[in-house]
Amino acid sequence: MKKVMIGNHAVSWGVLRSRVEVISAYPITPQTQIVEALSDMVADGSLPAQYIKVESEHSAMAACIGASIAGTRTFTATSAQGLALMHEMLHWAAGGRLPVVMADVNRAMAPGWTIWTDQNDSLSQRDTGWIQLYCETNQEVFDTTVQAFKLAEAVNLPVMLVLDAFFLSHTSEPVDVTEQEDVDRFLPRREATFKMDTSDPHAFGALVRPDAYTEMRWHQQEAMREAREVFREVEDEWEAITGRRYGAVEAYRADDADLLLVTSGTITSTARHVVDQRRAAGEKLGLVKVKMFRPFPTDELRGLLGGVNRVAVLDRNVSPGRGGIFAEEIRAALYDVPPDDRPILFGYVLGLGGRDVTPAVINDIIDNTRSKASPEREDLWVGVEL
Amino acid sequence: MSDHDVTRPKEIGRNIPPIAISETSTLVNPTGSWKYIMPRYEDRVAPCNAGCPVGIDIEGYMYLISQGRVKEAANLLVRENPMPAVTGRVCHHPCEHSCNRASLDEPVAIHSVERRLGDMILAAPPIPAPERTRRETVAVVGSGPAGLACAHFLARLGYGVSVFEAASEAGGMLRLGIPEYRLPRAILDRQIERIAGAGIEIRTSTRIGVDIPWSDLDVFDAVFVAPGAHTGKDSRIAGAEGNEAVRPGLEFLKEVNAGARPDLGSRVIVVGGGNTAMDCARSALRLGADVTVLYRRTPREMPAIPLEVREARDEGVGFEFLAAPMAVVMEDGRFTGITCQRMELGEPDESGRRRPVPIEGDVFFAPADTVLTAIGEDCDLSFLPESVRTKWGLIEVDPVGESTSTPVFAGGDAVDMPRSVADALGAGKRAAIGIDHYLHEKAGEAVGELPLGALRFGDGNVSAVRYLEDGDPIPREAPVNEVVTWDRMNPHHFHLAPRHEDHFHDATDLRAAFGETNFGLSEKEAIEEAERCLNCGVCNRCELCLIFCPDMAISRREDGGFEIDMRYCKGCGLCAAECPRGAVTMTREGI
Amino acid sequence: MSQTIIKQHIPREELLASGHLACPGCAAPIAMNLVLKALGPETMVVLPACCWSIIAGPWPQSSLRVPLFHTAFETGAAVASGIKAGLASRGDTKTTVISWAGDGGTFDIGLQALSGAAERNEDIIYFCYDNEAYMNTGIQRSSATPWGAWTTTTPTRDPEHHPKKDIMAIMAAHRIPYAATASVAYPVDLVEKVKKARTIRGTRFIHILAPCPPGWKTQNDETIELARMAVERRVFPLMEVENGGTWRFTVDHPGGSVEEYIRKQARFKHLTDDQVGLIQEQVDARWEVLSNRVQHGT
Repeated sequence: MKKVMIGNHAVSWGVLRSRVEVISAYPITPQTQIVEALSDMVADGSLPAQYIKVESEHSAMAACIGASIAGTRTFTATSAQGLALMHEMLHWAAGGRLPVVMADVNRAMAPGWTIWTDQNDSLSQRDTGWIQLYCETNQEVFDTTVQAFKLAEAVNLPVMLVLDAFFLSHTSEPVDVTEQEDVDRFLPRREATFKMDTSDPHAFGALVRPDAYTEMRWHQQEAMREAREVFREVEDEWEAITGRRYGAVEAYRADDADLLLVTSGTITSTARHVVDQRRAAGEKLGLVKVKMFRPFPTDELRGLLGGVNRVAVLDRNVSPGRGGIFAEEIRAALYDVPPDDRPILFGYVLGLGGRDVTPAVINDIIDNTRSKASPEREDLWVGVEL
Repeated sequence: MSDHDVTRPKEIGRNIPPIAISETSTLVNPTGSWKYIMPRYEDRVAPCNAGCPVGIDIEGYMYLISQGRVKEAANLLVRENPMPAVTGRVCHHPCEHSCNRASLDEPVAIHSVERRLGDMILAAPPIPAPERTRRETVAVVGSGPAGLACAHFLARLGYGVSVFEAASEAGGMLRLGIPEYRLPRAILDRQIERIAGAGIEIRTSTRIGVDIPWSDLDVFDAVFVAPGAHTGKDSRIAGAEGNEAVRPGLEFLKEVNAGARPDLGSRVIVVGGGNTAMDCARSALRLGADVTVLYRRTPREMPAIPLEVREARDEGVGFEFLAAPMAVVMEDGRFTGITCQRMELGEPDESGRRRPVPIEGDVFFAPADTVLTAIGEDCDLSFLPESVRTKWGLIEVDPVGESTSTPVFAGGDAVDMPRSVADALGAGKRAAIGIDHYLHEKAGEAVGELPLGALRFGDGNVSAVRYLEDGDPIPREAPVNEVVTWDRMNPHHFHLAPRHEDHFHDATDLRAAFGETNFGLSEKEAIEEAERCLNCGVCNRCELCLIFCPDMAISRREDGGFEIDMRYCKGCGLCAAECPRGAVTMTREGI
Repeated sequence: MSQTIIKQHIPREELLASGHLACPGCAAPIAMNLVLKALGPETMVVLPACCWSIIAGPWPQSSLRVPLFHTAFETGAAVASGIKAGLASRGDTKTTVISWAGDGGTFDIGLQALSGAAERNEDIIYFCYDNEAYMNTGIQRSSATPWGAWTTTTPTRDPEHHPKKDIMAIMAAHRIPYAATASVAYPVDLVEKVKKARTIRGTRFIHILAPCPPGWKTQNDETIELARMAVERRVFPLMEVENGGTWRFTVDHPGGSVEEYIRKQARFKHLTDDQVGLIQEQVDARWEVLSNRVQHGT
């Protein structure tokens, strides 16, 4: 069923279709419509879920953890300050191997106070052990929401699906909402691998000494590795039902490109447009979209970026003291590519705090990349006017 | 590549799961290794047990009653005390003076419970007579409480026993000295019948040295002598000799207790402060006289049982303290009364009581028709052979009752001064055990030393049950023969509950009324009294230790006791601290 | 019998195993034991950071014979809410979900989550066993530490400045159906309250005094005596409040001087007699307030 809806509602519909059983909700701009729509769905009976109107995001994640260890499917959504507040509990969900799914509406971190988009909030959490999936369109948001539950429950890792504040969250796009029976075939009721059960009582999460902690982390890391393959399988199944797949990484017109843009989130749509324009003018330009940031698609990126002359990574984020985070991770991934195949990598920091990334900005970036022998610095900040 | 692959954690044999999910209980941790001190269940002795001159597991039978096992309670009692219906009425109950409950609210009314059990026993069919398992025979001189007790236990030990009683009926002081309103004849008779019926022969009207010579007793293998003390001490009232108006109180009592109702006139003075004096006073009252008790010290020094004094007062007996009789006063050949000397208290004498000292010149006249003297009794030991040594008018014996002339044993009022029914009973029991031990030794059986200490309740009297049955009928946990004092108890868990007081007759009109004055308690009240017993020193399975153990190291054993799992006990001591009755002890032994 | 036959009121099933790691004489396992007995095996426990996180035993052990979830310090009430919602979503409204937290995780860092859960009237029982400081981390003060007490962050030259936070008033202000105080020295009262709480739907809060030998500087075998004295001398009265308005005392509180109670604990050793007198005044004043609540409600 095709509907026009804002990105936040695409999340809500995804949650509805996934028959989530426990929702915990704390409002923060620009996530509010997600939980408001869910509240309506619960109230009118279309979603028979338990809905806990928690008193903070930290409690929101704690409640999800509780619902998850009770063996049920659970969801919450947040943004920026809220995500930062629940940081401690993100570790708990991941270390506890609980398949919680959370939508993060990418919003820049305060101070200064802001409600607009950038990726620092989700990327600050990259070491917590959550799978992170970045979306480009509202359709992708809906699809990824449903897929997130299947993926999470298959590998027992929590999944964060990420959408840009306002550019997706509040922007209407057409979304094909897959029918419930089809989703049910794809995503049956959760049967937890382990849970709180009075007929088989166990303690979860007790003190682990140095002689066993490493092994538990190893298991978590192994699960992350498996997640790459499992995601592929999940997309296979979803494609069979809906005809749609996205890939952990998508290469767009990249085959013979001598310059590749690397993007994530809504910047990708703008970049596609620029690529098409310049290709039409004869330029060998391509685009690599990164959807899956954790686990990091090292092999795919090596394959796509190795041997290319130049790569321009567009980071709508920055790690102060280092630089753009995607750029940093890609550089690290490319380290083991034979020196001759290592592209010259330009890392651009742009769009922070919701500053618009227009085709003009991207054009400038491409021109700059082509014109320089090498980047003057690791992080090339776009449009800084002091 | 080295043998040790550093790139992957060791996989072999460890099976670390993906999350910290428990696989075992904490029972794998032997936290008992932490302790430096450990608890032990050690049952100790309740002070009532140690305080009872008869030697009865009072705490034990109280426990049985509280468990609804009243018949067993009665059974336990009667195996130590052959006449509980009597002692429940007349004993001065030192057990109650020892009762720890006095430190909480009021002592348990042990005597009332004993009396109810005693009456219950008398109402039930008698137990069969014990088997005659020994060929030896023992003679018992005197059928008072000492003699009857000794005979009873000797019969239970399997001997043939013959009791020689000088009076025409058995009972000794019980019959001769204690009035009916304290001890009804029917009860006494039935009680003696029970004892006599259980394997002993009583020959009344047979005074040794008069009706039969002492040498007639040579045919017996041992002799227990308990002639009692029946000779009233001389009051040394000037002019009393030969004067019919001044009589020994004991003689008066014997008359009255035999059923006579002599006319004493309208005013009677009783000289003395002991039980005999009270008995005389209250009996005289019932014969219609106004009675005044004359005592040379104050109420505090009176040796009489306080309840008897109270009852005497309630019935209308008057008291004149710090006064001693001096001389008879005659007017026209008629006795009109006595002169009395006012006294004051001086330094303590050898009994520890302050000595009465006459106040020079302070004399007064006390009018009376009759004066009864009850200032103590002496024994007539003239019938004893010289080999049985006496001192200050009492027979010398060792701790078990053996005299200086084997095989003569002795006990009761003729041996020492407590002069109570309970002490006499206790002496009789003790001597029976002593005689049994002696006779086994004499027969060449290897019996070793008599373990008197282990047989006693603390430092109290011996237990026949322990001797006969080789242990306590109610099992004790690692028993330690020490009395539990109040400081070992934890009173916080006890409820305050007032003591049930005996029901007394209406003391208004007593003329010729020799019926029982104290009706004791109802069955329900007696059970409630037994439930007031704190079970000092002996675990009564309240389970507080189990509940308060932070390590759940205490569990119930199948036999009802408790077990402490030393693998987990950390030695915190809460079980010992909270045990209401001091039945758990912390020790370093065995650590 | 001469005493309450406690064993008749305490369920027999053992839901706590020996070998746990509590200090000798610790009140916390006594409290847990009684609570679990009262609740029975259809119970799930959420355990935020506190002494019990260690007492329960390290992985792979558990001292509890019911499911237990260790969680972060401030999250007891929130995780319990989530578990309860999860169970409810699958049709289980019978299993009792409890949060078992110390005073730190209740009065301080956990207060937000507790308040949130209480305001929503979540169907959980929240137990706070209170040893009056952050004992697990080595005896630092919490807002439950009584005035004048020594802790490592309120040394004797500058002991605790503030009176104990009135958590019962806070919980009553939320108008939850049931809140109560309890003491390990009154096991029957505690068990009866837990059994009663179990029959009530909505948020129930039970505050249990748990003396701590190392933290209070007392002997191992004094724990019950202290827990008793605190009640008798009105330092920690035993009461319950329903719907935030109706208060009642559940045992007799004879009163008497708090001095004996204070002087038994070396954490108060530095107090002058005047200061003990001040504590007496505080206790008396609070007793007036509580008596007033019992009389007139709130």
